[in-house]
Amino acid sequence: MRHAGHFVRLLALVAIAAVGFLFVRSQVIPKDFGVKGHYRLSAVSDEAAREPRHLGSEACAECHDDIAAEWTAGKHTTPQCENCHGPGLMHVKKVSDDSTAGYPDKILTQYENAINRGTGIHECRWCHLKTFERPSTLKSIASVEKHIALRKGTFTPDTKCTDCHNPHTAIAK
Amino acid sequence: MSRRRFLETVAKSGGQSFLFGSLFVNTALLKLPQAGADAKSRAEAEIGKGVIYGFVVDTTKCIGCGSCVRACRAENNVPDGYNRTWVEQYTFYPDGEVFVNSPNGGEDGFAEALPTRNRPSGAEQAPMRGFFVPKLCNHCIDTPCIQVCPVGASFKTDEGVVLVDHERCVGCGYCVQACPFGSRFIDPRSHTAGKCTWCHHRVTKGLLPACVVSCPADARIFGNVSDPESTISRILATNRVQVLKSYLGTRPRTRYIGLDSEVI
Repeated sequence: MRHAGHFVRLLALVAIAAVGFLFVRSQVIPKDFGVKGHYRLSAVSDEAAREPRHLGSEACAECHDDIAAEWTAGKHTTPQCENCHGPGLMHVKKVSDDSTAGYPDKILTQYENAINRGTGIHECRWCHLKTFERPSTLKSIASVEKHIALRKGTFTPDTKCTDCHNPHTAIAK
Repeated sequence: MSRRRFLETVAKSGGQSFLFGSLFVNTALLKLPQAGADAKSRAEAEIGKGVIYGFVVDTTKCIGCGSCVRACRAENNVPDGYNRTWVEQYTFYPDGEVFVNSPNGGEDGFAEALPTRNRPSGAEQAPMRGFFVPKLCNHCIDTPCIQVCPVGASFKTDEGVVLVDHERCVGCGYCVQACPFGSRFIDPRSHTAGKCTWCHHRVTKGLLPACVVSCPADARIFGNVSDPESTISRILATNRVQVLKSYLGTRPRTRYIGLDSEVI
């Protein structure tokens, strides 16, 4: 066995490579990877930990109880508060303790107090413009200009739906 | 037996065995699980197996207001120009042409004027019929997107929700190409894959997904298909439901009511 040294050196190299591979593998792959499948198990709780931004109309009613009462009694209850006004979380954070740091959200910079107060015309157009595909039971108008002309009014660039309609109750003023 | 006769016999029997063989292969193919297996019976098979989420889109109710698109964007901070959910407008004309439109994913609503177009003869024609189809991730049971992920960043939870691990995702985009429904995109800010999560962070807290809460027409229904008493189970049991691209065999968990054959 005068060539045994060759084998020993080769085996030593293989052993070093194997140990190195196992060490790198243990460092790179997270501990909970492959517990339930080919994924990192804590990624599920990471995703679940995100904070819901739409708080629901009940949360809005805690402060804005007068508008909530008007809305509940009206005929416009299918769209929720946040449908037109946007999500409430940023608004609540902003007006309560201003803890909005770390929220890279355009809602914060877009609106005062981080809530869309409503333009009074843009939000209405989302649902109430007549398109071919919309059901006839949905109250809709072909265009704001035509609707106002039909009602013998004058259309100006400042004309809003809320000039005549209450958006919270859908009852004409 | 002459040489000619022998060759003829060989050719005939060879052809017959080829035909027989192909018949056998065809029969074997027919015995494979049908790609478009009935979605309702699949839902029934899931009853009583813990929480398994399901989603039903009622296209007959959708009014195309885009509330779901806006709610999704705000809830999940979806970057501009990308959508986790979107609404498609299908318009049919008498000459058989179908037009599909989704301006900005339907986020700003849809055009007010009825689209008219000219026939090849030059005569103007009004649309014949139309409807809206909201789209989102189908959360397939046999997902192509998870299969192709090289780093194990795409996975399916026990509840059947397909999620992305943003720490592991390297942004290679294989899953974006693998998804036959266009449900995924690479977020230009984080360079990781973005997709609909069925609002996993909301539903695990007992809330409904943002798009379901914001839908004023009840066109989106979410719930536990494992519970036979849940709203979604009753809807699945009493409606004729369809899935998108059933022929691909991805077995989507998002089912559609009133899906037209032209919807892709």
